[in-house]
Amino acid sequence: MLELKQVSKTYRVGNQDFPALKNISLTIEENAFMSFVGPSGSGKTTLLNLMGGLDRPTSGQVLFDGAQLESMNRSELAQIRKQHIGFIFQSHNLLPVYSVYENVLFPLLLNHLKEQDARERVMALVEKVGLTEQANKKPAELSGGQCQRVAIARALIKRPKLVLADEPTANLDTENSFRILELMQDLNEQYGAAFVFSTHDQRVTQFINREVRLEDGAVLWDKAKNGNGELE
Amino acid sequence: MLIQFAIKNFLRQGLRSILNVLITAITIVTVIFNLSLLNGFQARATLNMVKTDVAGGHYRIAGFDLLSPTEWEDHTGLVPDSLKALPEDQKAETLILQGQIFPNNRLYPVQMRGVGPGQELLDLPLQGLKRFPEKITDQIPVVIGTKMAERTHLKQGDSVVLKWRDKFGAVDARDILVVDVVKLLNPRVDEGMVWLRLDHLQDMARREGEVSWVAVELFQGPVPDMEFHSVDDLMKDLLILLKNDRRNSIILWIILMFLAGISVFNTQILNVFKRQKEIGTLLALGVESKQVVRIFTWEGAVTAGISVVVAGLIAVPLFMWFQTVGLDVSHLEESTIPVRDAIFLEFNPFEIFYSITVVVALTILVAWLPVRKISHMDPTLALRGKAIT
Repeated sequence: MLELKQVSKTYRVGNQDFPALKNISLTIEENAFMSFVGPSGSGKTTLLNLMGGLDRPTSGQVLFDGAQLESMNRSELAQIRKQHIGFIFQSHNLLPVYSVYENVLFPLLLNHLKEQDARERVMALVEKVGLTEQANKKPAELSGGQCQRVAIARALIKRPKLVLADEPTANLDTENSFRILELMQDLNEQYGAAFVFSTHDQRVTQFINREVRLEDGAVLWDKAKNGNGELE
Repeated sequence: MLIQFAIKNFLRQGLRSILNVLITAITIVTVIFNLSLLNGFQARATLNMVKTDVAGGHYRIAGFDLLSPTEWEDHTGLVPDSLKALPEDQKAETLILQGQIFPNNRLYPVQMRGVGPGQELLDLPLQGLKRFPEKITDQIPVVIGTKMAERTHLKQGDSVVLKWRDKFGAVDARDILVVDVVKLLNPRVDEGMVWLRLDHLQDMARREGEVSWVAVELFQGPVPDMEFHSVDDLMKDLLILLKNDRRNSIILWIILMFLAGISVFNTQILNVFKRQKEIGTLLALGVESKQVVRIFTWEGAVTAGISVVVAGLIAVPLFMWFQTVGLDVSHLEESTIPVRDAIFLEFNPFEIFYSITVVVALTILVAWLPVRKISHMDPTLALRGKAIT
């Protein structure tokens, strides 16, 4: 579904070039539930941004269902994101003026669905993430874990092919982190969307099927779980 | 959806939104008030001129020039039959001559203005002259305005010597009796002016049947030996003065617009700066940058729209109250502007529509200017709140 071919990203600060990613080649399968791990500055977020069409590589190709993201204009990239990619951010980034229900509904409205046609679908997902009673509350009235669950529902409501989650558990306590990861695992199985996290949270490892370790912008290892649940 | 989002964001901004709305609404109200007051002032000034002096125009004896007093005596003539035949409510025969009075033993040059006592065209409070017979008996009855009375220290019942020259050059002098001191709406027909019955003045100057001009209600076509001066021509100086006033009001209008614009502009700058993460989120969700610009611009439009409503809520009671009291312009007594009484608002629907449209358009424009940069914003930096530092 998503393929990165020899992707490099270099940032220029003043007269100096800072390589953030070096010749990354990866393939993300449908239904993947995987993570990029590595220390801060290893290039995890940059890689997610390139995969989501929020940024462009300095060299190499990012292919989404065979389409080259790096050659698309801003408007075409926005269309891809709108229809096929869901984002979950570390600090959830919910729209503060909207209620839980409206935040989840928002991507569907962007895709020109009418509210009356989308209402049931939204409420079903809100129920799935356990926030039915909070449906009319604003983000400011929710806990961090609840906000992250809203963000997950918002990312999934349009049934994307790919969900990119940047440090989704970084601001959560252990209990909430597990609940969120279990929820995402459940939704991954139910909806079939590929989930890709960036994280340096070791707790995530037990939930994912594949782990890619990055260091200094390069892939250090790429391991998948075997039949015993061990990464190899 | 974008509009709904914009409205919700507008409401979220609370006090900032309220202040923006208030400033914009006050600008709208002030602009309309200012323009309407100016309209009222102009209407009153021109009306007073028309009512007291100009009427629908003057048929003047050829060569007569009000600004050349030394030639007034050279340009008098008989009233042509076509004008003579007009009823009293459609004409006012007027004779203008030079004279001198000597209040408190000081010489004071005056304009002697005689009008037919029966004329009903001009609104002049000269009833005091009507009760005197056509032929002058003892003293010559005159009426003066309050301004003239103040300048010359004359009051009702006072007598003073009036000196003038008759048609044949002989100098005459007689006592005049101030039968009335009246408040004239138009200072131009007050200061330096002595009002007499036309028949008395004609008799005094041995100019039976002669006039300087005939004010008429309507243009009567060309009349031999007379030149027609239209209302616009007769009020040329006043119209230029009023035009300057309008120019000054435009400067005030620009200042007000600038203040309102700055306020909205600042809010939008702050909005874009403070809401970078929100902008980044919208972009990540697939909202196109031009749509984000539209959302923020809509917020400005919402400000403008609500401001119009608030302006209406402020303006209606304020203007209704103002129309009961008016604006006292008695200080203009010292000027030559023909307004002495209170002035009221005169609304011009086109001006109101135009003003509101311009304020709304400018508000939207200044709301759009700072948010244009969103279209160039890097979404990854916006998500981290570092697109604008």
